[in-house]
Amino acid sequence: MTAASTTQGARRAESSFVRVARYTGVRLIAVLVTVVVGVYLTILIANMGGYVDEIRMGQIREAVGLMAGANPDLPFMSDEERIAYVEQLVAIEVERLGMDRPFLLRSFTYLANALTLNFGRAEQLISDSGSRLVRLIIIERLPSTLYLFATGQLLLFGSAILLALYLSQRYGSWLDRLVVALAPTSAAPGWFYGIFLILIFAGILRLLPFGGMVDTPPPADRLQYALSLLKHLILPISAILMGALWQTTYFWRTFFLIYSREDYVEMARAKGLPPHLVERRYILRPTLPAIVTSFALQLISMWMGAIVLETVFRWPGIGQLFFRAIGSYDTPVLLGIVVTYAYLLAVTVLVLEIVYAILDPRVRIEGRKAEA
Amino acid sequence: MTRRIVAFALLTAMVLGLSAGSAAQTVRRGAWLDEIVVVEEPSSPAALTRIEAGDINAFFWGMAAADLYRYRRIVESPAMSYVESVGSFDELTFNPHGPTFRDGRLNPFAVPRIREAMNWLVDRDYIVKELYGGLAVPRYTMVHTAAADYARLADIIRVIDRKYAPNATLAQQVITEEMRKLGAELVGGKWQYKGKPVTLIFAIRIEDVRKQVGDYVSGLLEGIGFTVERRYGTSAELSPLWYSGDPADGKFHIYTGGWIRGAINRDEGGNFDFFYTPRSTMVVPLWQAYKPDPEFDAVALRLSKREFSSMEERRELFAKALELSLKDSVRIWLVDRKSIWATQKGVQAAADLCGGLSGSLLWPYTIRYTDRVGGSMRIASTSMLTMPWNPVGGSNWIFDMTLIRATSDFDLLPDPYTGLFWPQRLARAEVYAKQGLPIARSLDWVTLNFVETNKVPADAWVDWDAKAQRFITAGEKFPEGRESLIKTVLRYPADLFQTKWHDGSNFSLGDMVLRIIMLFDRSKPESAIYDSASVPGFNSFMGHFRGVKIVSRNPLVIEWYTDRYYPDVEWVAADGSAFVWPYYAQGIGPWHTLALSILAEADKKIAFTAARATALKVEHTSLIAGPSLTVLRNMLPGAARDKILPYEPTMSQFVPREESWARWNNLVRWFAQRGHFWVGNGPYYLEKVFPVEKVVHLKRFADFPDPAGKWDRFGVAARPSGTITGPARITIGQAATFDVRITTGGKPYPVKDMQEVSFLLFDAKGELALTGPITAVSDGLWRLTLTAAQTGRLPAGTTTLEVVMVSKLVAVPSFVSLDIVTRR
Repeated sequence: MTAASTTQGARRAESSFVRVARYTGVRLIAVLVTVVVGVYLTILIANMGGYVDEIRMGQIREAVGLMAGANPDLPFMSDEERIAYVEQLVAIEVERLGMDRPFLLRSFTYLANALTLNFGRAEQLISDSGSRLVRLIIIERLPSTLYLFATGQLLLFGSAILLALYLSQRYGSWLDRLVVALAPTSAAPGWFYGIFLILIFAGILRLLPFGGMVDTPPPADRLQYALSLLKHLILPISAILMGALWQTTYFWRTFFLIYSREDYVEMARAKGLPPHLVERRYILRPTLPAIVTSFALQLISMWMGAIVLETVFRWPGIGQLFFRAIGSYDTPVLLGIVVTYAYLLAVTVLVLEIVYAILDPRVRIEGRKAEA
Repeated sequence: MTRRIVAFALLTAMVLGLSAGSAAQTVRRGAWLDEIVVVEEPSSPAALTRIEAGDINAFFWGMAAADLYRYRRIVESPAMSYVESVGSFDELTFNPHGPTFRDGRLNPFAVPRIREAMNWLVDRDYIVKELYGGLAVPRYTMVHTAAADYARLADIIRVIDRKYAPNATLAQQVITEEMRKLGAELVGGKWQYKGKPVTLIFAIRIEDVRKQVGDYVSGLLEGIGFTVERRYGTSAELSPLWYSGDPADGKFHIYTGGWIRGAINRDEGGNFDFFYTPRSTMVVPLWQAYKPDPEFDAVALRLSKREFSSMEERRELFAKALELSLKDSVRIWLVDRKSIWATQKGVQAAADLCGGLSGSLLWPYTIRYTDRVGGSMRIASTSMLTMPWNPVGGSNWIFDMTLIRATSDFDLLPDPYTGLFWPQRLARAEVYAKQGLPIARSLDWVTLNFVETNKVPADAWVDWDAKAQRFITAGEKFPEGRESLIKTVLRYPADLFQTKWHDGSNFSLGDMVLRIIMLFDRSKPESAIYDSASVPGFNSFMGHFRGVKIVSRNPLVIEWYTDRYYPDVEWVAADGSAFVWPYYAQGIGPWHTLALSILAEADKKIAFTAARATALKVEHTSLIAGPSLTVLRNMLPGAARDKILPYEPTMSQFVPREESWARWNNLVRWFAQRGHFWVGNGPYYLEKVFPVEKVVHLKRFADFPDPAGKWDRFGVAARPSGTITGPARITIGQAATFDVRITTGGKPYPVKDMQEVSFLLFDAKGELALTGPITAVSDGLWRLTLTAAQTGRLPAGTTTLEVVMVSKLVAVPSFVSLDIVTRR
């Protein structure tokens, strides 16, 4: 190797590094701008452009009015004392909620806090154990959401992919036809099946619990607790699978079918390669970017939980928390959930871009020709 | 023979043993159940399924008319039972601004006569039967049908009910007359004003039956020529329209209002001020737009400020206020809703007439299986553990309070059917009221004496020096002397200090002294735990508080001096006791657990109230879970080592050193065993809390001093039920006799338990012709004799005899009527 070629190689490597850095930087900036815009829009929407302040003010005045109305000292107060008493109580609540500052100013504080992941204190909600810190409120719900949805989604994804791959090789078989026939049942969401599952297995057969995460009172022994948790997972996970398995399988089976009809796959088959090798090398590998994308997005979607499913099964997850935060206009909690999701999404997208480049030989940065 | 003797002896021993066992069972102390597991169930249908499946035993959530089909399901289910309550009520709120809004649109409801006519337009019986499916009671006046005043004023209210009975023709006539005066004209059956249709904006709530009520009333208004724009929405969505908006903007004409009451009200007098005048604590533009007639305004103010000298004068004022409130009608009352509380068959608990099961203070004392003693019960509610628990400023969520009350014992407990107080840890009380105050007595545990004045003793405590941590006496602050309208002498039983806290500590005077200190300290800027959020309430308290004095330490006797009073002397006594009994705003608190929290708040690590926690940017104190526990746990060893006594300069006069040692040792042991600091003294103690799983585990407190059945007499409301027998026809000018048979649960109603039985005789025109009391003959039988002179005043036609039965045991009066033909 000559010195010139070494220098050229180094230049090429440096050039590649610069290109990758520039590419990543541009993507990063784009993603950040998207996150900022998305978060600020969330703030505006969650507060209805400031109109929520008006609603809240009404709620505060109503609650204070009722509370003050029940004060047995009222008959002994003058009109001025009554009004002063009520106004003092209103002022305390307004200050507690930070509503003594205009919404526009608060919106920028919300934005700054959210972007720096300083979620601060909730305005209305508290964590189950009694904390006002948004971080703790979310963290407390995270494990239960992960138990349910990580288990459910992994099972769903894994079984759907495997079954779809299997079916793509047995197009037209009775099993294939059955899955096609069952696919429309996914039009009903998981929680819909959940209600029936509860009715049958808890209400009638009394084999499984009505809902909740563990037995009541929860077992003190860790192993018993884990077993109880598993028992309580059966129905909600079954509901998730029943609500999505057939459709997901159908989707991936169709997707694999398209790929399995490609010339190079036919060629591989004609060469006499065993089916598992054909599936792995010639179908699975080129479809891997799509599978990874789907899997990654599905994985981060767990963050948001599932409002109705969690409600039906009384599962104390983030979905229920999100619902309560919307209902009580608790902007910091809403932002905590949404911003974390936004960051997760942004990072995932960024990582996927890089993963594509690794997985798919056809993807190259800035116009390098695809190698033959 | 010897064998037989031995066998007989063994048998006798066994029988005696069994008897002893039964005797032990009959004197079971504390709670009937061994444990209660409380779980969350947000869905009413699911809760019913779970009750039927035996998964839960009771659902502590009142299902209202919106759950009508569930009500039928409960009634028809062989596995379920239920109790009823009547806490919520619905009305129509009108916008009184006008007659025109800022933009020139007409507002017919600016005219009081049109608002009054709405009473005739709506058919409350139809609303109750068809829209609420019978799960409501028609209501015409401001007085709640389960309020003590409803029983006191039943005869007056019944006359008003009949006056405002549905009369669509009269309603239309009045409205037409007034609309024409306003310059509106009826064109093609539609009201028009200045060439445009008169459109009424109807803000209709959608969460419950008020949606149907809104549609029904809209239909009625459309039927008499109005154009109605229905705006459906939730509380939050409609609030800016009707509540916080300016009525002059005309964002609404009518709103389907609803209110909740959690306990029986003994004095509705202040409600005219609250609902009809701008003096209300609802300081918003709508209420400021209320312009009651000066006479009504004056009467409402007098009732609110209790400016009357006797109950008779109060009754006259009430009669006038009721009449004028119907003429004002800025809101018209529709129904008192019933709620249904489902339980498994064989489960019994005393439910409050207004608050149902979750609002009942007696539920933990009475809940049981009817066929056995002990056992475990599982109850559910829609939500719980919504806020941190601490006695001073913790959760006030209704179902959290239900559980907190199960762990608390009380000085007095309210009768769930009358709202009057009965003594629990208080032995008796004497009230000395200033001559002329309108106060009456119903129960004999309290005496009522009228005096010229009450002088506050010079050594009574009247304020608190937060810096020196000592009380300020009346002699120091008011050297010229001080008087009060009320003096209450509270006498506690000799064994009070033998009762136990859940951690094994003895109840002590220190617990009560700390309670008194806490009335003041948090509102003093010099205090280490000063909380500005407590100042408005403190100022309000100081407005009536005149002094407190511990007269005797054991047995404990306390004198309470105040200018605050109620029509019932039982409430006057309860008011005084409430300020010294260590049941704080949100639960019971022994001095040592509070000491730890005070210490932590003084260090600015946690705070009792949400407002203070926000200001300090720390956690809101929770004694049961969360980050507060870490703070408290870290402080516990030091506090226990130093035997910390809060407010030592004062508390050390009441808490001996050995008590302090015992308390801290007990708390250390309690926390080690249970992992929380919630120490109560009620029939159940908090075994464990699972905040994320939403499970609360309560266990029976074995050292509770009272027999389990102490409050069982409140298991079922003894509502009177009556029948009238007598001639179907009477001749005018001749005497006639009617028998009224009154029963409860199929048994004759005891005369001693009946407050009053009276009659109302409405003549053929529907006007009140005669009224008066009915004489008791024997238990279950009352007899009315109309004299010849009385019947001589009746016109011919169909006369209605209505009997009003007011019991001492239940606040809700009962009615029975009979139609009689009067002829010449």
